[in-house]
This record gives sequence, C-alpha cells and structure tokens, in this order.
Amino acid sequence: MVFLRRLRGRLIDLAFVIAGVSVLVFGFIRMIPGDAVAIMLGANAEVTPERIAAVRTRLGLDLPIHEQYVAWLSDVLRGDFGVSIWTGKPVIDEIAAHVWPTLQLTLLALATAVILAIPLGILMARLRGRRGEALVQAGSVVGLTVPPFWLGIIMILTLSAVAPGVQMLGYVPFSQDPLGNLARLILPAIALSLPIMANLARLLRSTLLEAMQQDYIRTARAKGVPARRVLYRHALRNALIPFITSVGIMAGYLLGGAIVIEQVFAIPGLGRLILGAIAERNYPLIQATILLVTCSFVFVNFAVDVVYALIDPRISE
Amino acid sequence: MDSLRKSFIASSTALAFGLSVAAHAAPLEVAVDSSPSGLDPHIVTAFSSFQIIDGTIYEGLTALDPDLNIVPGLASAWEISEDKKTYTFTLREGVTFHSGGAMTSADVAASLKRVMDEATGSPLASRLAAIDTIETPDDKTVVVKLTAPSAPLLSSLTTIAIVPAKYAGDTETLQRAPDGTGAFKFVEWQPNVAIRLEANDGYWQDGLPKLEGVNFNIVPEAATRQVGLTSGQYHMLPNTDAVTALQMQSQPNIKLQDTLELAYSLTGLNVTRPPLDNAKVREALNYAINRDDLVQAALFGAGVPGGPLSPALKGFATPTNELACFTPDPEKAKALLAEAGVTTPVELELLVLPRDDTKAMAQVIQQQLAAIGVNLTLDIPEIGQFVQDWRNSEFDMFVSLNSGTIEPDDYFYRTFRTGGSTNVFKYSNPELDALLDAGREETAVEGRRDIYKKVQATLACDGPVLFLAYGQLYTAMREAVEGYQIYPNRSLGSLKSVTLGN
Repeated sequence: MVFLRRLRGRLIDLAFVIAGVSVLVFGFIRMIPGDAVAIMLGANAEVTPERIAAVRTRLGLDLPIHEQYVAWLSDVLRGDFGVSIWTGKPVIDEIAAHVWPTLQLTLLALATAVILAIPLGILMARLRGRRGEALVQAGSVVGLTVPPFWLGIIMILTLSAVAPGVQMLGYVPFSQDPLGNLARLILPAIALSLPIMANLARLLRSTLLEAMQQDYIRTARAKGVPARRVLYRHALRNALIPFITSVGIMAGYLLGGAIVIEQVFAIPGLGRLILGAIAERNYPLIQATILLVTCSFVFVNFAVDVVYALIDPRISE
Repeated sequence: MDSLRKSFIASSTALAFGLSVAAHAAPLEVAVDSSPSGLDPHIVTAFSSFQIIDGTIYEGLTALDPDLNIVPGLASAWEISEDKKTYTFTLREGVTFHSGGAMTSADVAASLKRVMDEATGSPLASRLAAIDTIETPDDKTVVVKLTAPSAPLLSSLTTIAIVPAKYAGDTETLQRAPDGTGAFKFVEWQPNVAIRLEANDGYWQDGLPKLEGVNFNIVPEAATRQVGLTSGQYHMLPNTDAVTALQMQSQPNIKLQDTLELAYSLTGLNVTRPPLDNAKVREALNYAINRDDLVQAALFGAGVPGGPLSPALKGFATPTNELACFTPDPEKAKALLAEAGVTTPVELELLVLPRDDTKAMAQVIQQQLAAIGVNLTLDIPEIGQFVQDWRNSEFDMFVSLNSGTIEPDDYFYRTFRTGGSTNVFKYSNPELDALLDAGREETAVEGRRDIYKKVQATLACDGPVLFLAYGQLYTAMREAVEGYQIYPNRSLGSLKSVTLGN
C-alpha cells in the first residue's frame, strides 16, 4: 500500500513536470530571434508588413502570449495538437511519419549497449588488479567520451573507403526491406551506443566489486559455494539493481543522441522533424514534438521507478 | 561478442540485397544541403528552391543556354516593334501543364499578372515593372506593351515561370504542389527528407527527359553528402563549393564540372550611418581590402576578385585591373580616412551571413580593416535574424552572398537606385539614378555597354558596396551521369538531357 501511495505521488510529480515543460517549450521557441511569419513568407524585401500582419492574425500569433498558451493547452488536453503551418497536415500525422526511425534507432542502440555492457562489466571486474586492467579502463574512458556524431562521421568515412558502394545512409522501413533497414541502422546504433555501453560497463564493474566486499558474499564463500556461482548468482544479481536504473535514464539520453546522429546518417526521424520545424518556425510542430519527447523521457523514468521497486522488495515496503 | 558478429554478417548480406534493389530504381539521386522554403516560382528566390524548380518543373517564355545566351523557351519566336515598346510572342505548340490542359496565351498573361500583382508579393515584380498591358489576340499569341523601351525584358522573362491561370490570387497551393510545363513533374515532398520528381511523359520536347525521375535528397551534413556520392547512393552533388569539390576530385568514379558563378560576395555599407556616409571613407575601405588574399583564404583560391558585374558577363563587366581601388593600398586608405576627418580607431559592427565562406571572409576582412584602424565586431546571427536585420537596414556593414543575374539592369536597378526594393544601404545618387534609367531605355548593345561601364565606375570604389569576389561553382557527380551541363546561375535545367549509365 505504501508502494501504491508512492506511485500516486510520483504520478502527480510527473504532471507538474510535464506542465512545466509545456510552458518552457512554448516560451523558448517564441524567444528565438527572427520574425517567424517573415521567415514563413520567404523573407523577401517584397513581402509587405500588411501581408505579415494578415498571416499573423490567421495563425493567432497576434494574441498576447498567455492567451496563445491557454488556447494551445486546452486543444492539447483535448488531444488536438493542431496542424503543421507548413504542410497543413495534422501535427500528429507528421510525428507518426517520423517517429519510427528514431524509436527503432534508440531501441537498437539500447539493446546493443546493454547486451555488450554486461559481459564487458564482468570482464572489467574480473580483471581487477591483473595485467590489462589499465588498458581496459583507458578504453572505457575513450568510449565514454567519444561524441557519437563524430564517431558516426568517422565510421562513414572509413567504411566508404574500405567498401565503396555500400549503402549505409538514409532509411527504409522494416516492413519494406527488413535487411536493408537493419543494415542502415546498425552503424548509427553502434555509434550511439558506445558511450552508453562504456558508462554501463563501468557502473557494473564498480557495483560488482562493491558487492563482492559484502558480508553475504563472504558467507556464501564460507559455505563453500563455487566462485562462479558466487559471482553470477549472488553478486551480479545485486549489482544489477543500480544498473537497471541507469539503463532507464540512458534510454532518455539515447533519444536525444539519436536526434543528433540522424543528421549524420541522413535518417528521416524526429531529429530532422524538429530541426526543420525550428528553421521554419513551425510553432505547432515544434511544441508537439518536444512535448512528446519530454513525455516519453519522463515516462521511461517512471517505468524504471516501478520496475526498480518490483525488483528490490526493500523499496516497495 | 557473438551477437555483434552476427549482426555484421546480417548487415553485409543486407547491403548486397540493398544494392540489387537500388540498381532497378532509375531516378537520378541528387543530394542538396537544405530544404527549400517553398516551390512557388513567383514567390521563392532562395537557391535551395530555385535549383529544384528552375528548368526542371517550370519554364519561362525565354530560356538561357549554358553560355547565358537567350534562346526560345515556351515562346517559339518573338517580334519587337520599331519603337521597341511592343513585344509579340508566338507560343510553342503542344505544351501542356502537369495538371493537364494545354498552355494558352491566357495562362501566360495570368502568370505575368500574378508576378506583377502586389498581393503575390513576388520578388520578381520589379523585373516586369516596364509592362503596361498584356493582350491575348488568340490562343497562341501574347502581345506585351511597355510604357518605355526595356532592353532587359527578354532576359527577365527567363526567370518568370508560366503556371496555369487558375493559380491567380492563390499564393499557397504552388508553394507545396508545383505545377508547370517542365520535363519533370512533382510527385511528393517529404519535408526534410526528399522531393521527388518524375518524368513528364507529355513534355513538348521529343525524346526528353531521358531520366525516369529525379529525387532531391535533403542532406544537411556535408560529410554525409560526400560519402553518399562516393558510395553511389547519390549520383550528384550540384552547385557545391570548392572545398567539397576538390576533396571529391581524387575519388574513383567521380567527376567534376565547374564554372565561374554569377553570384558574388559583397560587403554592404549602411550609408546613413557615420562615418560610412562619407564617400571618402567608403573609398578607403575599398583600398584596405586585399581581394586576392580574400579569394585565397576564404574560397581556397577557387574564385576571382570581381567588380560590380561578374566576369562571366564578358560583354559588360569592366576588368578589375581598370578599377583603381582594386589594387590594395593601405597607405592610401589611411590617407583617405584622414582626409575625411575620421579619427581612428573606428568601431563598427559587421553582420555576417551564416555560411562557411562568408564567415571566413568576415574574418579576413576584419583583419584587413584593422590594419587601417577600422575595428569590426562580427555578429553572426541565425539566418532568419540576418534576413530581418538586412531588410530593415539594421547594420553598419554586412557580408553576404548575392545572386547575380545575366542582365545588368536586373539587379543594379533594384539594388542601387534611390528607393530600389533591395536598396538596403539607403544609397541615393541622382547621377547613378539617371544612368540606370537611361540603361533601361537604351536598347542598342553598344549604347548599353557605355552606360553600364559608367555605372560600374560609379559604384566600384565609393558606392555602398565593397564588391569582393566571384567564386568557382562545382558540380560533383558519378561517372555514370552523362549529359549534364553546369549553369553559372545554378539552374539544374540540363537535368532533362541527363542519362544514367551503369
């Protein structure tokens, strides 16, 4: 019951966070310099102030900013995110058309990072005090600090030198060409996952080493449990709890990283959508997309909290 | 580790598969750096829009060949009256619009009027300012009457696309769904991803286009465009700068074409702000600039110093060695400043167009002017802000890139005449105004040459602009691309003659 009450408290917190973000998004994009309507109309010397004023009225941009916000928010609460100023299509459709590449890239990168981080973390823990530790540690620091977009460019340049003719840019839907889809996403996914992987592996190493110092490990050893079983069954299981929390937080960062790396690999995902919308000053589209990304970040963290509580009985009690 | 190896195997299989699929799709894959802001030929002027629609989707009554000569376009012939005030155009037979329906004189008249209509807000309107009336005696004849002789009319008409008459008063539809007479018709626009065109089967020129279609892929990242070309994913990077092009030169299966650009880089001066209101100060700045160094440092040597007209316009451009202030002389510059009664150091702000080449130029200019005691603070805003400041004359100085035109009047008039639509410098010189007016009325080539020689002399050294340089323009493409011809004005109109081998 304590668990449920805490859950409800967290949900209320979430509502505040999302409301705050909606205000920030709305305010920030209106602070970008440059007359939004003039940019929409093509910024020619011949566009008269009268025409700009007419478009501003049509889009409701002549109202005081708080009125604009209230009107937008009440539409959003009713599930209406408005239409893209540029294409006239519902914003929701625009987002739906761009969300899959980003989602797929994020999940692929997360899976790569997690699958590789667990054995790497264990290896690093086992190497402690042995030869090679310094090398692996240095490698993990490099992995942690390499910016994915830079790594992406290097990967593209290298691969195109080694194997010219390989198609590695752009995106094809999985349903249309599953292998082509994976072939195009694997490089950005690897580039994107490297820092996360290094981070998770380092975390697992230190929590594993910490767990190995604990009394229950000593007890297990004293009972004569084999070393492998001590490591995997007793130490690893406990060390995984902070690991899982981190995975959740990383998922949010991956979404942000994906938006950047999409530019490098010419992937038509949310990143393209957001950047294009900002360049066009497409207010409804920017607002909805950023709100959506924020919500997913917040909900992933919430889900992690729940999972965390379920794994560790001490938290739910 | 095993999973990683598996996914590599999976991906290499996939790559082979992906290639075999690509071999079937015949459209030409072109990579461009930015998304156009719209595709209405009468409203948009940015290169990002122009290169997608000009000569591909849309055509004008007259057209340009790669050497910038005026040739028949949608008009197969024209006659000019004795008094040079009446132009009678005969329209080509068998021209249809992509949306169906034959092109008639009514469409032509409506298109010209659409450009002239203030409600359209067309940046091209000033090019048709001389038109008094447009008559359509029959379906295939258009008679254009002018208020005064206007030599630039035929070249201006190369830039006025003919669209169906039904778009009069509609400034939104064509922005997203272009509809013209060209060799390619619009299929779809996925914002920020690609614009797809397919062959227009009913194109009036037999046997063209030779391609099944053209896809303009929007790829903002330069490294991605380059790799896309070397890996064969894209066939062409049109209108790129020297740095990119020269990097591609050594790659296998890649070839380059180049030409001198019509577009020029310039530093504009706000002549209402002291000390720039003083002609001697403007002359001093001209002497302080070393244009050869600028070409070396900012354009990597791929360009030439240029005066008010592009050296590509051989008939009109005054050679730069005849312009005194194009020989750098910092001592003379200092003397001129002293003569003008200016005490150095002078502090000024330089507004910079956010492009790599203009940013580099701004830095070189900053250094060169510092040597004569003019200290510049660089302001590099986002593009929207730049355009707004530029248009509202909110600058001391700016450095930017202007699209030149093949017709001297076209941009001299609107840029430098008192009250001209893009005279953001607030420059006003009655002597120049008189010359520009005379240039419009004079139709004899020799007479026009004389007039524009004087115009160039007036503008070159103490006008509102420091003319800097004309860059070399490149198109990089796969060896398999045949029949392409680069245009100095960045038009991709020759795509209709392109074929794609293996």
